[in-house]
Amino acid sequence: MSHTLKTALGVIALIALAAVGYFGLADNLAFMTQVVIMMIFVLSLDYVLGYAGISTLGHAAMFGTGAYAAAIFATSVSSDPILGILAGAVAGGAIALLSGFVLMRAHGLTLLMLSIAVTEVLHELANKYSGITGGADGLSFTPGPILGRFEFDFAGHIAYIYSVCLLLLVFIKLRVLTASPFGLAARGIRESQARMRAIGTPVYWRMLLIYTFGGAFAGVAGALSAQTTALVSLSVYDFQLSAGAVLMLILGGTGQLWGAILGTMVYMTVHQIASSVDPFNWLFIIGAMVLIVVYLVPNGLMALPALLLRWRRK
Amino acid sequence: MSTLFSIVIDGVAYGMVLFTISVGLSVTMGLMRIVNLAHGGFALLGGAFTHWAMTGLGLPFLAAAPLAIAMVMLLSLPMERLLYRPIYKMGELQQVLATIGITFLIIASVNWWLGSTLQSIQLPAFMSGAVNLGLRTLPTQRVYVIIAGLLVICGLYILIERTRFGIKLRAAVDFPGTAACLGIDTSKIFLITFALGAGLAALGGILGAEILPIEAYYPLRYMVLFLTVVAVGGMGSITGSFLAALGLGILDTATRYLLPDFGTVFFYFAMILVLGIRPNGLLGKSLS
Amino acid sequence: MKFPSKWALATAGLAMIQSVAMADDTVKVGIIAPFSGPFASYGQQFKDGIDVYVAEHGVMAGTHKVEFVYKDSGGPNPAGVKAATQELLIKDGVKYLGGIVFTPNALAIAPLITQTKTPTVLFNAATSIINTKSPYFLRTSMTLPQVSAPMADWAIENGIKTVVTTVTDYGPGIDAETAFTKEFTAKGGKVIDAIRMPIQTSDFGPFLQRVKSKAPNAVFAFLPGGAPAFAFSKAYSDNGLAQAGIKAIGTGDIDDETTLQGLGASGIGIITSHHYSQAHDSPENKAFLAQLHKLRPNDVSNYATIGAYDGTFLLYKMISSTDGGDAAVKSVEGMSWTSPRGPVKLDPVSRSLDQNVYIREVVKGADGKLENKEIATYKDVPDLGMPAH
Repeated sequence: MSHTLKTALGVIALIALAAVGYFGLADNLAFMTQVVIMMIFVLSLDYVLGYAGISTLGHAAMFGTGAYAAAIFATSVSSDPILGILAGAVAGGAIALLSGFVLMRAHGLTLLMLSIAVTEVLHELANKYSGITGGADGLSFTPGPILGRFEFDFAGHIAYIYSVCLLLLVFIKLRVLTASPFGLAARGIRESQARMRAIGTPVYWRMLLIYTFGGAFAGVAGALSAQTTALVSLSVYDFQLSAGAVLMLILGGTGQLWGAILGTMVYMTVHQIASSVDPFNWLFIIGAMVLIVVYLVPNGLMALPALLLRWRRK
Repeated sequence: MSTLFSIVIDGVAYGMVLFTISVGLSVTMGLMRIVNLAHGGFALLGGAFTHWAMTGLGLPFLAAAPLAIAMVMLLSLPMERLLYRPIYKMGELQQVLATIGITFLIIASVNWWLGSTLQSIQLPAFMSGAVNLGLRTLPTQRVYVIIAGLLVICGLYILIERTRFGIKLRAAVDFPGTAACLGIDTSKIFLITFALGAGLAALGGILGAEILPIEAYYPLRYMVLFLTVVAVGGMGSITGSFLAALGLGILDTATRYLLPDFGTVFFYFAMILVLGIRPNGLLGKSLS
Repeated sequence: MKFPSKWALATAGLAMIQSVAMADDTVKVGIIAPFSGPFASYGQQFKDGIDVYVAEHGVMAGTHKVEFVYKDSGGPNPAGVKAATQELLIKDGVKYLGGIVFTPNALAIAPLITQTKTPTVLFNAATSIINTKSPYFLRTSMTLPQVSAPMADWAIENGIKTVVTTVTDYGPGIDAETAFTKEFTAKGGKVIDAIRMPIQTSDFGPFLQRVKSKAPNAVFAFLPGGAPAFAFSKAYSDNGLAQAGIKAIGTGDIDDETTLQGLGASGIGIITSHHYSQAHDSPENKAFLAQLHKLRPNDVSNYATIGAYDGTFLLYKMISSTDGGDAAVKSVEGMSWTSPRGPVKLDPVSRSLDQNVYIREVVKGADGKLENKEIATYKDVPDLGMPAH
C-alpha cells in the first residue's frame, strides 16, 4: 500500500472514530474534546520522541507557550481562533528552537532534566509576570467565532468539531513529514547518530529542526486548549502534563502516530471512568493498567495484535 | 560577611538533606542503571511507616525509624523480584513507564491507608530546636542530617570501593556476562543493591521530612528534585551526587538570601548551564 | 447566524438538563474538588463537611432528594474542570455546583454557570474577583483580605510596630501581603521588609534567617496550606525566631488543623487570624464535631470542612425552597445563620460571608493536643477585597 493511500485511510478512520464519538457519546463532548487536544499534543511528542528519539519530560514548555500565545494574541491582536492557533504554533516552535540550541546537545537523563528545567523556568516567568499572564488566577479571554461564523457553544459541539479538524490537519502533516527524506533521516538519527553523521547528515541541525516542528505542533495543542477553555493558567506548564503525555505515548507505542492516538484514547478513557467510579482511589487502576501493559506488551498497545498472532501460532 | 557565612551554613545543611534523600536514587539509578522514578515511593514508605510506628505503636523515634527502614528493605525484596527484574533489560522508556506505574500504586496505597494529609514525624527533644553556632543558630535536626549524610557517604565508599561485595557489584553492572561466568551471583547482587537503595531512600525520607514533609503525593511532588541531584552529579557517581547536592544546596540557599524574587529561575538556569557544559554531569562517565 | 446557533444550542442544553431533572424528584449537586493529587486533603475535608451535614439533616431537602456527584479536579486545572462541569451539567443534569478550591478553576466555569443559571457554592476558592465574574457564585469560605486585615489590626493593638512580611510568590500570597500591609501601615505600623518566597521552596531557613537579621517585632506569613505551610512553621521554630522575640503571625493557612499536630511543641505561640478554629467554643461547633467524629473518628475539621458544611447548608436551603436558577440565589442572599464557626451573613452584594474573624494562638489543649485557641474576635468582617470596600 502506498504511503498516500495509507494516509488517506488513516484520515478516514479518524473521521469515522470522531463521528462515532460525536453521535454515540453526545453527552461527553467536552471530555472528548480534551482527548482530541491531548491526541494532538501526544502526536507532537511522538514526532520528537518516537521518530527522532529525543527523550523529553518537558514537552509542556511548548504546549504552555502556545496556550499563552493564543490567549495574549486574542486579547491584544485578534480574537480570530485560527490566527490564534497560528500564533500558538509560532510561539511553540520559537521556544523549541531557542531551548533546542542547548537541549539538542544532550541526551539521556541530562536531556530529560534539561527539558524539565526549561519548563520550570517558563512556569516561574509566567508566574512572575502576572501582569501579562494573569499569574495564578489565570488569563481569561473570549475567542471569537471560527471563520467569523461558528461561535463556541455551551454544549461544546463547535469546540469538538474544530478540534477534530485540527487533529486531522496535524495528523496529515505529520504523515507527510515522517515519510519525507527528512523524516527518514529522523529515524536514522534515532537508530544511530554516529552512522548518520558518517553519511554526512548534520545531525545536530536536523534534530533542532525536528524539535522546532514538534514544538510548533505542541503549540497548536496548547492554543487549542486555551481557546476551548477560554482561559489559560499556570497549569499549562505542569510537569504532570509532560509526564502524562510520555505515559500515553509509551502506552500506545512510539514512532507510529497511531500509537499516540491509541495510547491517549485508552489512558484518558480509563482515567475518566476510574475517576468517576472512585474519585479518591482511581490511581490504583491507572497504576495497574500501566504495569500490565509494560509487562505484557512492553512496546505498547499497538504491538498487541502482532503479539496475539504470535501466540496463536505457537 | 555574616550573610556569606549564613549561605554556607544553610547551604551545606540543605545540601546534606538533598544528598540523604537522593543518594538512594544514585544507587539504583546510577549503579544499577535503571531509570527508577519510584525512588520517592520508597522514601514515602519510610516516612509513612515511621509515622505509623510512632503514632500507632507508640514507639519512640529512635526505634520507629530503624523499624521503618527495615520494613521498606524487606518490602523491596519481593518488589525487586516481581516488578523490577523484568524491566532491567528493557529500554529506558519502558522503565519510565513501569516505575511510574509502581509509584502510582505506592501513592494510591498510602493514600488509601493513611489518607492524604501530612504524616508528621515527631522528633525527639534532643533533635529539635536550634544550636548556637556563635554568629547564628542552626536547627539541631540539620546537625544530625549532616552527620548521617557523612556516615552514608563514607559507608557507601567503603562498601563499593573496599569490599568484595563492591567489586562484585561493579563487575555485575559493567560486565554482567563475564561476572556470571566467574561465578558471581549477579541476580543476588542486584537484589541486595536494590534493597540498599530502597533503605537509603527510606532513611532520606525520614531525615528529610522536616523540609519535605511526608504525604501521599510526596513521590511525584519531589521527583524532579531527586532527579536533578543525580543528573547534575552524574550517573553512576555517588561522589558526584554528593558534590551536586552540596552545590545545589548552596546555590539555592544563596539565591534565597540574595535574590529571593527570582530564586527558582536562577536554580534552573544554573542547572541548564552545568548540564550544557558537562552533559554527563559533574563526575559522570561518558556513556557513549 | 451568530446568535441563533449559540442560543439554540444553549437552549437545547438547558432543555436536556430540565428533562433529566424532571424525570424524578432528585436534585443532583456536582461537587468539583481535588480528590486526588497533592491537594487531595481538600477533597477529603469537603467530603467530611458534606457527610456531616447529610448525617444531621438527611438526604431530603424539602421535598427533593439531594444527590451529590463527585468530580475529581486534581490541582489547578481549568481545562479539565471546565470539561467536567460541562459533563455534570449536560450528562448528569446537575442543577447546583459546589466545591472548587482554586481560582482559575472557578474562573473557567464562570461563563458556563452564567449561561445555565447554575448556583455554584465555592467551598474554598478565595479570590474576591471570582464573584464578580458570575452572579451565580456564592462563597462560604473567606477571602484573603478579609482575614489578613484583622491580623494587622490585632498586631497594632498588641504593641507590634515593625513587621517583615513573608508570602508565597503567587496571586493569593500577594493578595495577603497587600491587604496586611495596607491595614498595618494605615494604622501606623511599619513593614521593614517584604519577602516573596518562590512556590517551590522547601527549605525556608534562609528566609527566616533574613527575617531574624532584620529583628522585627513579628513576621507575617501566608503560604498555601499543607506541606509548604508546615515546613515554614517548622523552620520558624527551628531557627530560633521565637527566642529572638520575633512573633509569628499570619493567616490560619499556616497552622490549619490538618497539619497542626505535626508542628509539635515548636508550634506553640504561633498566632493566626482565620474564620474558623476547630477549638471554637460554641454549642453548634460541639454538635458539628460530635457528628464528624461519629462518622470519622480520626478526622479533624478545618476551614475546608466548615466551608463545605456551610456550603451544603446553603445548597439545601436553595434546593428546598426554590426550583433553582435566579430564584435560588435570591432566596439565600442576605441570609444570616449561626454556623459552627460563629454568626455569618451572606452579603447580598459580594455573595461572600460577612463573618467573625478570630485571632487564635496555638496552645496545648486539655487533651494534650495542640489547638488554635481563639484569643480575640473581630466581628462581622465583610469581604474586604471587593471593589466596593
